[in-house]
Amino acid sequence: MEFTREIYWNVGHGFATLAPMYGLLAVAVVIFALGLIKRIKVYRLGLPLDRTDQRRERIKHMLETMLLQTKVSRVPGAGTAHALFFWSFFVLFIGTVLIVLQADFSDLLFGIKFLKGTFYKLFSLTLDLAGLLAILMLAGLFVRRYLVRPQGLMTKGDDALMHGLLFAILITGFLIEGARMAVTELNAPQLAAWSPVGWGVAALLAGMGEAGLRTLHTGLWWFHLLLALGFISALPYTKFRHILTTSANAFFADRGPIGKLTTVNLEDEDQEEFGANKLGDLRWKDIFDTDACTLCKRCQDRCPAYATGKPLSPMQVVNQIGEIAFTKPDAGLIETIGREAIWSCTTCRACQDICPASIEHLGKIIEMRRNLVLMEGDFPGEEVMAAMEQAEVNGNPLGMGYASRGDWIEPLGIKPLSEDHEVDVLYFVGCYASFDKRNIAVATCFVKLCQAAGIKVGILGKEEKCCGEPMRKMGNEYLYQTLAMEMVETIKEYGVKKIVTTCPHCFNTLTKDYRDFDFDIEVVPHVLFLEELVASGRLPVKAKEFACTYHDSCYLGRHNGMYDAPRKLIRSMGGRITEMARNRDQAFCCGAGGGRILAEEKLGERINVKRVQMAVATGAGQLLANCPFCLTMFEDGVKGANVEEQLRPKDIAEVLAERITSENA
Amino acid sequence: MNILICIKQVPDMESKFKINGEGTWYDRADLAWRMNEYDEYAVEQAVRLKEQLPNSDLTVLCIGQDQASESIKKALAMGCDKGVHIADPDSSQREPIAIATMIAGFAKEELFDIIFTGMQSQDRGSAQVGVMVAELLGIPAVTTIVDFSYDENTGAIQVKRELEGGSKALVTATTPVVLTCQLGLNTPRYPTLPNIMKAKKKELRTVLPAPAAVDARQETSACYFPEKKGGGLVLEGEIPELADKLIQLLKEKTSALA
Repeated sequence: MEFTREIYWNVGHGFATLAPMYGLLAVAVVIFALGLIKRIKVYRLGLPLDRTDQRRERIKHMLETMLLQTKVSRVPGAGTAHALFFWSFFVLFIGTVLIVLQADFSDLLFGIKFLKGTFYKLFSLTLDLAGLLAILMLAGLFVRRYLVRPQGLMTKGDDALMHGLLFAILITGFLIEGARMAVTELNAPQLAAWSPVGWGVAALLAGMGEAGLRTLHTGLWWFHLLLALGFISALPYTKFRHILTTSANAFFADRGPIGKLTTVNLEDEDQEEFGANKLGDLRWKDIFDTDACTLCKRCQDRCPAYATGKPLSPMQVVNQIGEIAFTKPDAGLIETIGREAIWSCTTCRACQDICPASIEHLGKIIEMRRNLVLMEGDFPGEEVMAAMEQAEVNGNPLGMGYASRGDWIEPLGIKPLSEDHEVDVLYFVGCYASFDKRNIAVATCFVKLCQAAGIKVGILGKEEKCCGEPMRKMGNEYLYQTLAMEMVETIKEYGVKKIVTTCPHCFNTLTKDYRDFDFDIEVVPHVLFLEELVASGRLPVKAKEFACTYHDSCYLGRHNGMYDAPRKLIRSMGGRITEMARNRDQAFCCGAGGGRILAEEKLGERINVKRVQMAVATGAGQLLANCPFCLTMFEDGVKGANVEEQLRPKDIAEVLAERITSENA
Repeated sequence: MNILICIKQVPDMESKFKINGEGTWYDRADLAWRMNEYDEYAVEQAVRLKEQLPNSDLTVLCIGQDQASESIKKALAMGCDKGVHIADPDSSQREPIAIATMIAGFAKEELFDIIFTGMQSQDRGSAQVGVMVAELLGIPAVTTIVDFSYDENTGAIQVKRELEGGSKALVTATTPVVLTCQLGLNTPRYPTLPNIMKAKKKELRTVLPAPAAVDARQETSACYFPEKKGGGLVLEGEIPELADKLIQLLKEKTSALA
């Protein structure tokens, strides 16, 4: 027997079918195009931004994100269901395309049929199973959204429409197949077996009799067609648009360096507005982002500000900008989103990292902060303004006299570069390790470790100033640039070859943000530097067992992907790490990023206390950190959580310094 | 309204101070400089008055070394209209009447309606310059103001002065007047970027100091840090251990147990 089926069975393949069908398709395409053009016009209200460079990488990334569902499937459960639904629906789409290709092109014009024999068997089976899988996944997602409904999941009319339309398309598809098979295949089980779901439906419908089945089939066929065309027309007007926009956004995604902010041209004397407060102050990608958002709330679930009851949800920020763009383009961004929300962000990047739609939350928040600071002189509190002024006067936000910045090296026998610039590495100390007693202890350990490894270290001493990171993240681009340019000039003058930092904020700033000031000296974070020294045997370690948990700082972790080296180092010195539930790329911020180290935390619960509680829950007595901001927050957090006896926060370098073998020490 | 704001550039109080070679003042090395805190209140109040009376003209005056122009630029970025720098490298050596004479010499020619200044400087702290300027110009001075309002209809100025123990005095005055500003008057603004840019183009005139026209009346003969007294000692540890340590200390350092 021949394994195939008659396409356009029962509905006919003449002009009477094809003309209305393609006519309706044309209508759907026009509706689709009109909707798309309308939205593109809105995207174009934003400022220009080139996101079409590196096309090969962009296309590759888009195809991976879309076809392999790499980003969506990072979250098991709903993400898995989405990926499976996508793949099955994609298979159905390919199947439909093959049918159109054969029936209306290859067969119609050249008499070529390829949907036959073994290929047809596989084709039919695959499509049947894909349809079944799609229905199951959709049902699962329906249960999640409408019956279980996780906390914070926003459900709008769009969602009901999508569920309804997709269910209807899938179910009518099987009913059409069943009606056809009930007439044509019930007496050919070898053939029907390759369409198992359709066969089942056919068995259920069989009692209707051929005439009834044929009427049902014709009716449903046209209804199914209308639904499918409705789907096409609805794409730009409903959340279905994410099929296009989220995919396209993977193409337009920021290609790094991760977390590097755009540098404002302060030399341009014609520029009188800075930062963003109107829709037109944002870039087109910021507006496009709002259309790529599916309200999946993964960002909100991971936001430390949201988790501690502060008025910030990254999802809401994106959503509110979208509302302004499409419904009230004259509304003020800052007024709509709210100052407290804007100031609450710690730039931990958890939102942007997890976002399956390649949305850039941070850039938007920083642009609004820039507007607040540069146009209004507004800050989250007077303490932040005072810290800014201190950084202007003394080069550090702590308000310490600049001349005592290098005093801590006195007992160590190292010198500032102004006295001896023949060094192996420049240690860019940072403000906290220079002035804060707790962090001077870390800096001292680091220098001793270098000395034990025979590495000659120098510092800038009183010539060093804040790298400008907290100021930049708070929106004070002017002060950042002033500090950055001075640091670039000072460091370059000494002809330094390699810089080591103990602060991931300094590291990220020097290695990425300073690039815009022609700064390309190698910068290494201390954890990596030490890990290499230990691995190469240059720094002999006497491993001694200890239990700990490890906190991935946002700026070594999500901003730089350094998850393994610090863990390797901890293990090499005898550490047994009990991971916190939120670790690596899912790590929960200490609360100090985004310049929040300068600000009092007045809203909601304290982020550092929450993180400390997560560390206590591991049962390990030590919390190892790699960042002076984290360490400061944790020292404060153990007091706030009243767990000083249970948990000791330490920098990795401090534990390592206790384990260097005596002949070197 | 024509307004003068007199400011001084002072070292940041967190700086590492050292006494100079002559032993009469601090050494200038390793100091970070900023606008005197009380003068910032003066600048802020003047800028607020200009926001109320947009036709006002704000002149900011600073006496000192070249770097004093940095503080003038800050005042211009906060909203003053023009700056005058009396380039006097020796200003830190001069006694209050000499500084006041220089200011009065400048102010006489311009007929200012209000002169705002800080109630004292953070480094010298004499609190005399403001009132002396008023005396030399023959106009009233109201000191240590913590609140200011100006009635556009009557031209009356109403200020609150801070008195001992937190009580306040309400004083009304008319122009011309010298007002010296105290902590609590306002929170000085953070200059916006467009204003920082505009400040770069504002007039900043440098003039040489007029020859000293006053006889010396006072002289700082010495400047020194407070004598170092023995610091406190905090003992840490278990109670029996603490007791032993304490006994040992009392034996070694005192005659209490002798």
